[in-house]
Amino acid sequence: MIKGTCWVADDYVMAYDIITSEYWTSPIDPEENSKIVMSGVKEEFSKENGFKDKGYTFIVANHNFAGGGKSIEHVVTGLMGAGIQAVFATSFARLQFRNAINYGLPFITSDDNMHLGCETGDELEYDADKGIIKNLTKGTQFTSVPAAPFVSKVAEAGGLMNFVREKIANGEPIE
Amino acid sequence: MGMTITEKIMARSSGRDKVTPGELVWTDIHSVMTMDFLGRQCFDKFRSLGKTEVFDKDKVICVSDHLVPPPNQRFANMLNEWREVVKQHDITHFYDLGRQGIAHQIMVEQGHVLPGTISIGTDSHANTYGAVGAMGNAIGVTDAAVAMATGKAWFRIPKSVKFNVTGKWQPWVMAKDLSLHIMGMMHWNGHLLYKALEFTGPAISSLSMAGRMTLCNMTVDLGAKNGIVAPDVVTERYLRNRTNDKWHFVKSDEDAEYDMVYDIDISDLAPTIALPGKLDDTVTIDKLIGQKFNKAFVGTCTNGRLEDIATMAEIMKDKQVHRDVNMILVPASQTVYLEALQAGHLETLIKAGVAIDTPSCASCAGLHTGVAGDGDIVLSAGNRNMTGRMGSRNAKVYLTSPSVVAASAIRGEVTDPRTFDI
Repeated sequence: MIKGTCWVADDYVMAYDIITSEYWTSPIDPEENSKIVMSGVKEEFSKENGFKDKGYTFIVANHNFAGGGKSIEHVVTGLMGAGIQAVFATSFARLQFRNAINYGLPFITSDDNMHLGCETGDELEYDADKGIIKNLTKGTQFTSVPAAPFVSKVAEAGGLMNFVREKIANGEPIE
Repeated sequence: MGMTITEKIMARSSGRDKVTPGELVWTDIHSVMTMDFLGRQCFDKFRSLGKTEVFDKDKVICVSDHLVPPPNQRFANMLNEWREVVKQHDITHFYDLGRQGIAHQIMVEQGHVLPGTISIGTDSHANTYGAVGAMGNAIGVTDAAVAMATGKAWFRIPKSVKFNVTGKWQPWVMAKDLSLHIMGMMHWNGHLLYKALEFTGPAISSLSMAGRMTLCNMTVDLGAKNGIVAPDVVTERYLRNRTNDKWHFVKSDEDAEYDMVYDIDISDLAPTIALPGKLDDTVTIDKLIGQKFNKAFVGTCTNGRLEDIATMAEIMKDKQVHRDVNMILVPASQTVYLEALQAGHLETLIKAGVAIDTPSCASCAGLHTGVAGDGDIVLSAGNRNMTGRMGSRNAKVYLTSPSVVAASAIRGEVTDPRTFDI
């Protein structure tokens, strides 16, 4: 069970704005990336640690979260470094959806109207096993699409690197 | 029930007779590409998996494209580290400055992508590989590291969407216009997310390999997993001198199942332009005639090929770029550069007042070579127009085809190449 406040994203939150182009060539590092994450999304997030200092645990978004077709992993590591523990959206851009799975950060496909039923600052509670998200501030509830077994296994291992490293070390096939 | 071409490739690559959409599989990878600014991190991660040798030294392709030639010391230092790490792993195919090109152009042009197989790359436009009937897929450095170690990657089998494209291409209308037309028609936000896009029909059969690369390249910008054109005689002719590997004419079964099928007649397709900010905010050229701009750019993995340059040269021959416009051409690879030189196109373009730079991703990644400044209005044959993409967040980028950029650069305002006096 995870509990914390959420930031409700506008439409068209793109990978480009989550990590702006001057940082694409920087190292992939949660701590470093979290300082500038979301800096292109909103004026209030543009200063160092602008997003991180808000202390959000969740993001609630509409369609195509983190779209724009960037494969850079800074997007996911930046969010993780800033304390985000799950992102709920109607849909996700596939590259960042994939990166999130590989890092074990839950990108959860939720009810279509969830972003309309939440406001920035609302307190949410997420029960991953049941796939239920409660908005404690408003007393409402949303459901999510359960993660595929592979996705859960990768998350349990602490990400794809650990998952594969273990298999290689044990001489197990990757299948 | 039969399978689509993408399903067949994924079934074959995962050692199965059949796969169905939604299934999660580990597949064999034919080749994995990484490039200068992410490559070192791929190798670092690869070694952290407990491996010292990559799964196949001939199948890990390394390219310098985003940072070359280095415009500053930071990039120069990054490139030095990159060269060191590639050397350390004894990689066979390293396309460094001097032999460079944009990674996706290199992958296809140098025969590192094969019909009926899967190739991945750490840059989003790896979808380009679908042009030769391969499954091309963009991945992050984690997936690249895993593939370098194991020769494998995980995938969810996507649902397929078919675009049946008929009709005859009008003069000066290009594959880019079809890409942007589909972008406007489908919108960026949803319908095509995670889907495998298959392009078929007479208007696709008549497309050159360059056009097919443009079309598949931009499927990532539609949110799709991959874009693919089944191999045919054009593919066979293209690959003949590029690879000795054996491949098959894999294609979709007649009774394959599609999530959606769209019919598009391109006979009256007009040059199409994406307005600044959003890729799916497209208009036909008549809505923008006369729009002023001060920078013109042709290049990138979308439109920096010989055919694109030949089209520009044909339009710009014996004419002059307008005095209020700076125009830059960056060929997609050294091979393209040389071919354009030998064909005389570069001479034509230099005489017309076009600046030509050495192959790289150039200003498309906003990193160097003609980046946009505050207040600039750019007419670009690249692939992205988001705020800040080409440099300043206070610049505007219109996306269009090389023929529109060429005709417009002469007039100094958006011009329809179909009515331009050539």
